[in-house]
Amino acid sequence: MKTINFNNHKFQISRDGILFWFDKQIAIISDLHLEKGSSFGSSGQFLPPYDSEETLTKLLNTIKKYNITKVILLGDTFHDKNAFSRMSNKVLILFETFIKKYEVIFVLGNHETKMKFEHIKFFNEYVLDGIHFIHQTSKKCIYQISGHYHPVATIRTGAKKITGKCFIQEQYNLIMPSYGVYTGGLNIRNKIFKKIFKKEPNVYFLGKRSIYKFPYKFYL
Amino acid sequence: MPHILKIKPIDNWLKKNNWNYYDHQIETLKLSQNGFDVLLVAPTGGGKTLAGFLPSLNDLINNRPKKNKLHTLYISPLKALTIDVHRNLNNPIEDQGLDIRVETRTGDTSAYKKNRQKVLPPHMLMTTPESLALLLSNKESKDYFKDLRYLIIDEIHVLVNSKRGDLLSLNLSRINSMSPDCKRIGLSATVKNKNTVLKFLTSKKKTKILNVEETSHPKIEILETNTRVPWSGHMASYAIKDIYQKIKKSSLTIVFVNTRAQAELVFNKLWQENDKNLRIAIHHGSLEKEIRRKVESLMSLGKIDCVVATSSLDLGIDWGDIDLVIQIGSPKGISRFLQRIGRSNHKFDEPSNALLVPSNRFEYLECLSAINSIKNKLLDETKEKKGSLDVLAQHILGVACSAPFHVDELYNQVINAWPYRHLTKIKFFEVLEFVKNGGYSLKYYEQYSKIALNKNKLYAIKNKSIRNRYKLNVGTIVESYMLKVKLGNRTLGQVEEWFIEGLNEGDTFLFSGRVLEYQTILNDNVIVKSTSHTQPKIPSYAGGRLPLSTELSIEVRKLLSKKQFWKNFPNQINEWLKLQSKFSNLPSLNGLLVETFPRLVSGKKRFFLICYTFEGRNANQTLGFLILRKMQRIGCKPISFVATDYALAIWSINEVKDINIILNDDLMLDDLYEWLEETPLLKKNFRDAAIISGLIERSIPGQKKTGKQVLFNSDLIFNVLRKHEPKHLLLEVARDDSYRGLIDLDRLSEFLKRIENNITYKKLDRISPLAVPLILEINRQTIDKSEMEEYFLEELENEILSEVGLN
Repeated sequence: MKTINFNNHKFQISRDGILFWFDKQIAIISDLHLEKGSSFGSSGQFLPPYDSEETLTKLLNTIKKYNITKVILLGDTFHDKNAFSRMSNKVLILFETFIKKYEVIFVLGNHETKMKFEHIKFFNEYVLDGIHFIHQTSKKCIYQISGHYHPVATIRTGAKKITGKCFIQEQYNLIMPSYGVYTGGLNIRNKIFKKIFKKEPNVYFLGKRSIYKFPYKFYL
Repeated sequence: MPHILKIKPIDNWLKKNNWNYYDHQIETLKLSQNGFDVLLVAPTGGGKTLAGFLPSLNDLINNRPKKNKLHTLYISPLKALTIDVHRNLNNPIEDQGLDIRVETRTGDTSAYKKNRQKVLPPHMLMTTPESLALLLSNKESKDYFKDLRYLIIDEIHVLVNSKRGDLLSLNLSRINSMSPDCKRIGLSATVKNKNTVLKFLTSKKKTKILNVEETSHPKIEILETNTRVPWSGHMASYAIKDIYQKIKKSSLTIVFVNTRAQAELVFNKLWQENDKNLRIAIHHGSLEKEIRRKVESLMSLGKIDCVVATSSLDLGIDWGDIDLVIQIGSPKGISRFLQRIGRSNHKFDEPSNALLVPSNRFEYLECLSAINSIKNKLLDETKEKKGSLDVLAQHILGVACSAPFHVDELYNQVINAWPYRHLTKIKFFEVLEFVKNGGYSLKYYEQYSKIALNKNKLYAIKNKSIRNRYKLNVGTIVESYMLKVKLGNRTLGQVEEWFIEGLNEGDTFLFSGRVLEYQTILNDNVIVKSTSHTQPKIPSYAGGRLPLSTELSIEVRKLLSKKQFWKNFPNQINEWLKLQSKFSNLPSLNGLLVETFPRLVSGKKRFFLICYTFEGRNANQTLGFLILRKMQRIGCKPISFVATDYALAIWSINEVKDINIILNDDLMLDDLYEWLEETPLLKKNFRDAAIISGLIERSIPGQKKTGKQVLFNSDLIFNVLRKHEPKHLLLEVARDDSYRGLIDLDRLSEFLKRIENNITYKKLDRISPLAVPLILEINRQTIDKSEMEEYFLEELENEILSEVGLN
């Protein structure tokens, strides 16, 4: 766990990419992309259909260790509008356990706009203590925590380079890494991020043993 | 020569050129006429190709078979070879005005020509295993191959025991069911396991191996030089002046090197010496096709004095007038060296001329061993490999693409292919399930099956788009993602993406024989400009370095263990070994020499452990990881290790107290399985298997997918699959490949058996002479330390933080 301050609130980040707001007993997670694997099936690409199970198990195992009552999902929880219909029983049970045990806030992501599911209410945006929880960051000067971009960073260690997921933060913005096990990433050096961050942001690199915060210029 | 031949036009053509048939050519024809499938084993340049085609030419000329039907199929492992053979065969055909159409079909053939070949097949078609698989996946393939009379496979020894060979073998079995009377002729270089090659060629009973002995012995020497042979390194820069002198004296020289990076460097250095302005060219697999073709044609026209080449020029092609072959660095294996030597004086009855240039001291011993082995007619043995299941998966889909199949018929056809002869029906069905819908225990994908039973109980593809996609994914070679190097409008060739990623704007590197300055990447092109820099970074390419072969390694140990051999060594080598025997000991023929000594590394005392295994780089690397693990467990705090073909050096913070605990084989193999699961190698092999088997596509029509994305995705899949279905087909394939490949498990187990109770241990107070090359190597190599990456991160963070004053 590493502590970061955002809008004068104290947050903790875990190595697997969850943001904890312990003062409020909240866990925040972004971009689960459930059933991404099976979404390729109709085109004849049969990826191992276990990603949802893996993602949800990982998530439940991490948050059960802490005193959490509420979970905010920052969108793209489901990979496509039919994701639900493809879930195995095991995954459905896991999902049910999850939403029964916690108060889950679903923020709407771009992958879910066409989704119709009566039991889930999607928020375009969720606001708490002046912090806006949204899927994709906006240009407004408001404190916002978002996902969408799946940021990853690359760092050179000796002669080798390693790439890992990361959190990016500046004054108004905190962008979270994707959590789903089949999600890829967008390097923080991509020009898209230049448009979002005016200054060099803080980058928290999720390593296997620990979370590292290197100065921005060391990222490749 | 009295013979029963009535191939008048060929007789005439030979007479016109003052040539005559070789005995083995007549023999091949007779055997084939009597219904034998023939494997012709002969050294290069023995008129092998004509021997292969003689039965077919005879039939075409004398029996005038059906018009507009494919009569003869010629398969070679190299595109360039099909083109070359096509040209050579056309000489007599055109000269004698024969009505025989010969065409090639490879990845380079235009769509127009391919279509025409479909409608109007040539008499003879020359192709590669991959293009053959594609041709066979067409709907009309059964009819197309129905009248095939002759099948010739060139350089067949290269294909046996490889995934490419698996694919070919499956298709050979398929062709057999379409045209059962077709006669086969295999052409092979001299190999140890001829019978395996024969079995690979044909499953018929009436077969014969024709063995043509070499009539002349190659003249091979090791370069004599007044310069010091370096302790370590692979570039042989010390010998460039001497090499240049040799090139000057010959009319056409090929300088063989082992890697593309070496090729670039040697080429560059030779031009620095080139005061006589000799025409020196470069040839390797990463260069643009046009550039390679140009060099090849200049060679055959005699318009070049020297070519620096990698294995891209190893095989088959008849260049004619090369009078000297120079091998820089050890050839690493006997068979490969023979093949390369055969490039010179490509005439049957004249000796080849070759010069070996060791690039370091150990390689001197290796080069000498290679010469001894050739004198004693020793050959490398290739380990037998059972047919890969990922290739079978690709094949099953290919069969379904051409026509619906019956399961039992296909199974019988598959086990008729030599590499798959032991395949059980259960395994076959497992692969079939995988092709259908991924083969997961979760039956979710059934609705999307690629192939399904039709009303006649035959398996058929669901729709046409599956065939189109199959065609984009044919083949067993998975290359790393390459970027085109562009100088202005010219494409010079390709380099691996990761190499370019390591460069910064303005960095310089050697490529295609030029020093280039890296500018930027634009749409998958590396934009470069020419520069006058003289100290370029050298491009490095993944793979390419073969480990020292088992046979050669035995020869090296023999040389070392018997002092009477040493007197013929150059002084510097002799002195080095003498010093070693005085100071420590020499490795014995069957045992293992282990040395330990303390040494300062950046001011800190470290303990070095050296094992002189001589088991090749791959086995040594694996052993290194295993010993590292064990040392970690017993508290020696190992730091890192370096592995070469000859030895392994591990250094640690604490001293190793008991060598026997470290080298106990039982414990070691347990560790191996555990370790393998964590290696990047397994991931890489999984990716290859996933692509070959069709789980991940090379490319999707209309959608561009970069090589990097494939890698990223396959890693994610790998982790999930390993957890949920650890026995999945593709994981099994990846593990098998890892054990066979870089890990060299067989060799390692044999090694551990060999050294049991046969370890000589020397505790020294300082570095031994034999260890010097190894310690120097430490500074050159950066090992793949994926396990220790995290240590580096911690260190790095602290270092950087103090540097910027935050710590």
